[in-house]
Amino acid sequence: MITLEDIHVGFGSRTILDGISAHLAEGRITAVMGPNGCGKTTLLRCIGGLLHPSQGQVLIADRPVGSYTARQLARQVAFVRQQAQTDFDFSAFEIVLMGRNPYQHHLQNESQADWDIVEQCMRQTGTWHLRLARPAELSGGELQRVMIARALAQQTPVMLMDEPVSNLDIAHQLEVMRLLRQAAKTTVIVIHDLNLALHYCDDVLLLHEGGLLFHGPIAEGLTPDRIATVYGVATHLADGQVVFDYS
Amino acid sequence: MSHKSYKSSRANPWVVAGLALLLVAAMGASCLFGAVDFAWDEILHSPIFWRLRLPRVLMSVLVGAVLSVCGAAYQSVFRNPLTDPYVLGVSSGASLGAAVAILLGLEAWLWGVGGMALAAALLTVLFIYRIASIGNRMHTTTLLLTGVCLTLLISALISFLMVLNQEKMDSIIFWTMGSFGSASWTDVAVLAPVALVGIGVVLWHARDLNLLLAGSEAAQSMGVEVERVKRVLLLFTTLMVAFAVSSCGVIGFVGLIVPHAVRLVAGPDNRRVVPYSMLCGALFVLVCDTLARTVLRPSELPVGSLTSIVGAPLFIYLLYKNKKSY
Repeated sequence: MITLEDIHVGFGSRTILDGISAHLAEGRITAVMGPNGCGKTTLLRCIGGLLHPSQGQVLIADRPVGSYTARQLARQVAFVRQQAQTDFDFSAFEIVLMGRNPYQHHLQNESQADWDIVEQCMRQTGTWHLRLARPAELSGGELQRVMIARALAQQTPVMLMDEPVSNLDIAHQLEVMRLLRQAAKTTVIVIHDLNLALHYCDDVLLLHEGGLLFHGPIAEGLTPDRIATVYGVATHLADGQVVFDYS
Repeated sequence: MSHKSYKSSRANPWVVAGLALLLVAAMGASCLFGAVDFAWDEILHSPIFWRLRLPRVLMSVLVGAVLSVCGAAYQSVFRNPLTDPYVLGVSSGASLGAAVAILLGLEAWLWGVGGMALAAALLTVLFIYRIASIGNRMHTTTLLLTGVCLTLLISALISFLMVLNQEKMDSIIFWTMGSFGSASWTDVAVLAPVALVGIGVVLWHARDLNLLLAGSEAAQSMGVEVERVKRVLLLFTTLMVAFAVSSCGVIGFVGLIVPHAVRLVAGPDNRRVVPYSMLCGALFVLVCDTLARTVLRPSELPVGSLTSIVGAPLFIYLLYKNKKSY
């Protein structure tokens, strides 16, 4: 579904991504992991067509991302950001309805079908009862779920998520991850929690010093050795969980 | 599934029709009042009506519509509730151009002052865009900061010019306060097509404006060609404002407040805010200009100060009544 072909990205003299190649198969949830500043978000922005790599290209459904118009790409890829933001007082319903934009022409109004999809996505994320609330009235977890509903309303085969659970409490973290599994899309998710990733993701892209240290099934990827290489932290595995060696 | 609990927030055709009717009625009524009042049956035979009153009424309507629509668009593009149509320095550039034209004695020429004002306004904005363009992207914060900075510089220059030429100070001050006193059919013929096309472009992009409020990257990933849309909108809004300012001077408050007033009543959806602002802004400036030429007749009040005197209490009342926070 998603093919990364030798992606290079640099800002000024600083190299962020130095030749990343990988193929992400349809329907799999891939965790992008690595320390802060290693280019996880940059990689996600390349896949989402928000950043053009200085070299190499991303293919989605066998087509270069750069060859899609914004509308076409928005029907292929939805993006959930870490920081949700919207100005002025749109209601949660109106915010989710924005996700239908790639299916509406200029001046065309939303149809009953759009409304039904919005309702379905809001029920799926448990936000339907919040539909008339304004962003300022929502908790961080509620707003994040509204943003996920908006991404679902785009009805894309691919979902990109940049740290969607970092600001959430444990119960909401589990809920969002379960939701992801249910949605059954080709998902690329930036996530820091090793055990959450181990439990809910299929594969891992482990980034290290601008390169790709490992790509494959996450249970094989997150070994104490690699965790030590990437994060510089000592761990061991117990019952399929990563346990930190505090000392 | 039913949606009885939810109504679409697109423009309501009945509201649009009602406001349009109200506007037309107000235009008719406004034509009757001025330095000379008319009875309704003699008006069509009067040269004052045809040569002075009617173009003046049309200009106030056009300028009100233009300023309000541009204010609504800027507030969404810049994601900043404090932006008004003059924030990019269009008004200060135009004022400097007008001041120079007045000092050079070009007032007698047809469009001497207006032409200079237009040229200076466009030059100012071009300059600001050049500074704020990074690669093929428009950096909106830089755009705003450069606009504010240049506005301050230019008003200092104008003060300087006025102190050096005190005998012309009055006409410069009067120009910058805005007036429809010299509105002519030429002004209407120049502004009307620009306004029609420009407002059409903004209406066309109304939903894109909503999405821009969610952030540039979010809008992009929901299918908006963000850089292109920003460029097109800024181009047409700037042109509209430049033409409006150069024909009638700076009329403050309208572009900032009318869209906000509409949002307080009708919600934030730009598919409503843009058309409602257009009609309400036209109505508002029309009423203010009618008051400006009748309250203290035969002398005229500057319409730019009347818009604030009438509008500010109205807006504060709306804020108080709705008790919403931004």
